[in-house]
Amino acid sequence: MDSIRSLRLPPQVGQPTTTRSMMSDVLVALIPTLAMAVFFFGPRVLLLTAISIGSSVLFEYAYRRFTHQSDTIRDLSACVTGALLAMSLPANAAYWVPVLGSAFGIIIVKQFYGGLGKNFMNPALAGRMLLATFPILMTNWTQPMDWLPLWGVDAVTSPTPLSYLHDGSLPPLSLGQMLLGQRGGCLGEVSAFMVLLGGCYLILRRVISPRIPLCYLGTMGVLALIFHPQTVDPLQWATAQLLSGGLLLGAFFLATDPTTSPVTPRGQMMFGVGCGLLTMLLRTHSPYPEGVGWAILTMNCCVWLLDRAGMPRRFGAGRFAVLRQWAQQARENVAEIHFVKPNIHFHFFQGGKMPGEEHLDQIRAQAKNLGHFGVVLVCAVLVIFGVHRFTDLDTARAEAKYQQELLAQVMPQAAFSSETPYRAPGALSIQAGYSQNNELVGYCIEVQAQGFSGMVTMEVGVDLNGQVTGVAVTDHKETIGVGTNAMTEEALSRYIGKSGTIRLSGSNSVDAVAGATATSEAITAGVNRALAIVASLNTEGGDVSYVDGEV
Amino acid sequence: MRRSFFGGVNPAPYKESTRRKPIARLEYAPEQVVLPLAMSSEGDSVPAVKPGDRVAVGQPVAAGVDLAVSTHASISGRVLAIEERPHPWGGRSAAIVIENDGQDTPWDGRPQPLDSTRVTLDLLLARVREAGIAGMGGAAYPTAEKLRRAAGKADTLIINAAECEPYVTADHRLLLERSDKILLGAQTIARAIGAQRAVLVTEGDKLNAAEAVERRLRKRSGKVELCTVRTRYPLGAEKQIIQTVTGREVPPGGAPLDVKCVVLNLATVFAIQDALFRGRALTHRAVTVTGGAVARPRNLWVPIGTPLSCLLQSAGGLRETPCLVLTGGPMMGTPQHNLEAPVIKSTNALVCLTALERRQQSQETVCIRCGKCVTSCPMHLAPSFISRALRLNELHRLPKLHPQDCIECGCCSYICPARIPLLERVRQARELLEKGGLD
Repeated sequence: MDSIRSLRLPPQVGQPTTTRSMMSDVLVALIPTLAMAVFFFGPRVLLLTAISIGSSVLFEYAYRRFTHQSDTIRDLSACVTGALLAMSLPANAAYWVPVLGSAFGIIIVKQFYGGLGKNFMNPALAGRMLLATFPILMTNWTQPMDWLPLWGVDAVTSPTPLSYLHDGSLPPLSLGQMLLGQRGGCLGEVSAFMVLLGGCYLILRRVISPRIPLCYLGTMGVLALIFHPQTVDPLQWATAQLLSGGLLLGAFFLATDPTTSPVTPRGQMMFGVGCGLLTMLLRTHSPYPEGVGWAILTMNCCVWLLDRAGMPRRFGAGRFAVLRQWAQQARENVAEIHFVKPNIHFHFFQGGKMPGEEHLDQIRAQAKNLGHFGVVLVCAVLVIFGVHRFTDLDTARAEAKYQQELLAQVMPQAAFSSETPYRAPGALSIQAGYSQNNELVGYCIEVQAQGFSGMVTMEVGVDLNGQVTGVAVTDHKETIGVGTNAMTEEALSRYIGKSGTIRLSGSNSVDAVAGATATSEAITAGVNRALAIVASLNTEGGDVSYVDGEV
Repeated sequence: MRRSFFGGVNPAPYKESTRRKPIARLEYAPEQVVLPLAMSSEGDSVPAVKPGDRVAVGQPVAAGVDLAVSTHASISGRVLAIEERPHPWGGRSAAIVIENDGQDTPWDGRPQPLDSTRVTLDLLLARVREAGIAGMGGAAYPTAEKLRRAAGKADTLIINAAECEPYVTADHRLLLERSDKILLGAQTIARAIGAQRAVLVTEGDKLNAAEAVERRLRKRSGKVELCTVRTRYPLGAEKQIIQTVTGREVPPGGAPLDVKCVVLNLATVFAIQDALFRGRALTHRAVTVTGGAVARPRNLWVPIGTPLSCLLQSAGGLRETPCLVLTGGPMMGTPQHNLEAPVIKSTNALVCLTALERRQQSQETVCIRCGKCVTSCPMHLAPSFISRALRLNELHRLPKLHPQDCIECGCCSYICPARIPLLERVRQARELLEKGGLD
């Protein structure tokens, strides 16, 4: 019986789950969500996800290789990070965006702290939130159901349900639409149903425990039921809050990341409740509509505290002993928080002696350390400023393009426009339009008028003869499908060529569009105001005054 | 609503191959039996025979001193030698070797059977001591001593028929086939030690045995309660079974008596009633021989002292080379290197695992903080924190993590997806604490 060998202590058997199988279960659980995203946004999503996963794995491999550590890509954790990062990107994100995110997530957040199991923040989420600090990258949401081309994506903005919720109104979507995903958002948040499906799979496979998601969603639901806007039904409000945005993705996939969530059962519950409280706070009281990412990252930083607070009661110790123990633990925890004095010394010359050989060595060593520190600092600053600069240029380019399009719509005969020094009450901006030969063609006035449910902002082009050359609505809050009927190209083109004061009926009139009377009247009023402004501009060339008498 | 214990794991049971097989006698009687002098947790017995003496079944061959239990010949024959032999707890130790004469002659001097209504505490303790009974679930604590301490102090007698270890079915079969005698024994013991309640705890995977007990209970209007709970490891652990039945938690460092409970294994109860009502000493016990490497897994009624190889022979031998041979179940059992080691009083199973069953695949990897060890520890410990404190050498954290509470059930090592030997770490931490006196 030579082959009988045993060296291990009991138990002599193990269950089949390994770290690798847990990670691959997470990947499997993401498949429905990914499939739904492909269905909505087209094959571009697949390419984006592949780039995200590929770059994550590459960064992990490269870092471990260069620092002479063991190869860890086989545990699939980098794949999971890449997949989750992709799931939290908009479908029209540029292809370099996930590369930047995964570089930050994998190298700085994960590997700098020692790799799998030692990072204190979720790498995927940290990468995503870094990207969110660049204004233009993460705010363009695509309308579902129009497939994006693989190359060259326009930034078409579609409102997400969260932007409605942030303004205190319900999104114009049915429950079915919210569940299945007829809405704008990230890849992983368009379809609540598919995320739920994946989450259930993870819970059934015992990869995650249901404590964190249930506490998270439960807290959100209860808070939404209590603090709902006066005009909205609390139940509908709570449903909309739970199903919109990245909440489900965050609750089932990001908050439950084993490394960055508490270990103890009670700690996990507190973690979930904390995430819920913070998310609700950020959704309602911050300038941004979404708060899931920041909430989870903040709670990630509190995990060590929750783990201590949630430590299981000692077996056999009575209930009062527990309270005493808690009080003692709390005291000890508070006592343990102290500020560590930074261990930096700048003693170039010690004791006023002339620098000898030792001191020279010391100075060299310090200079070297300082040099390293400086290089890292400069690199970090360069990277961050570079990316910001790059994205700002993008912003400027997009802005210029938008202006050009607007000009083409409002004043087709003009080739370019420039800001005028004129100011007039009622005009948000006045631009002069010039033809190819640099001749003044007319003025574009941006005005506002009260519509059915808010201000309608429009750009009106008026030529030098005082005739309207075109009208474009740039911003409004009218009902989609009703008020917007007055903003179709056809409806707006009726204003072209009019001059003087346009009436609602009779001569020199533009009829209101049926069903959108208030909006039509608002547009007419705005055009009238623009005409009046231009009329005074031409006569006086400067200090214009306009009396709001007509409307 | 029944209370339950926190944590626990659900290992694959693998009981199907033996749970339907009745307890059978050995097909090939052993040529010799080896009776180690160390059979209980409380010290060795002293030989009472010389090499060359003839002994009969049930004749005492070693007398217990202090708390140690006495040992009886399990076959009739001639004492060959008293020498060092392999012991299932590891290593070698002194043992009495008896050569089988194949007659199985019973000993003349065995005590008279008692009437169940006339059993008093003194009589019970005397008989139990005489019969050399030690805990037959694994711990091998002398039963007479346990009962003596419990007398008058315990209000609940718990009969542990949980058998939560995978593979093992000896207690299941014993309960199914001998439920009448076990109930009688339980009732008698409870009355003798003055316990108001006697609860027989079994698991949901032994429903036929539970039904058999229930039928008998209906007929005899006995005072024994039956408690069937959901199968979960480690229900059979003393503290967990007490918590499940009574909701009381044994205080840290305490014994079951601190919460007025006494827990006896099912096989122990059967041995006690054998000693009381049939005058037999503890010479045989039920052993499950199973595992993927065994050709014909079955439950056997085995003379104590039979070498493990003889058990395998009666179970059809080995089908393939086992990766690991264990006495006891795979969760808490002891690995055996030498198949000449004998069955002792606390051996309830011989399990021969194949490599496939053992799933000994992977290397230890880093902890990913999944928390499964914390949610599966029935003693409310945090093994991952203990392991971390050891790894980072933060020994001042250990006293607060209470590694001394560990019952060594192995749930943490079993469940760990990173394959960290957490039980080993916890044990290490406990030894450090006990040695260094860190607190």
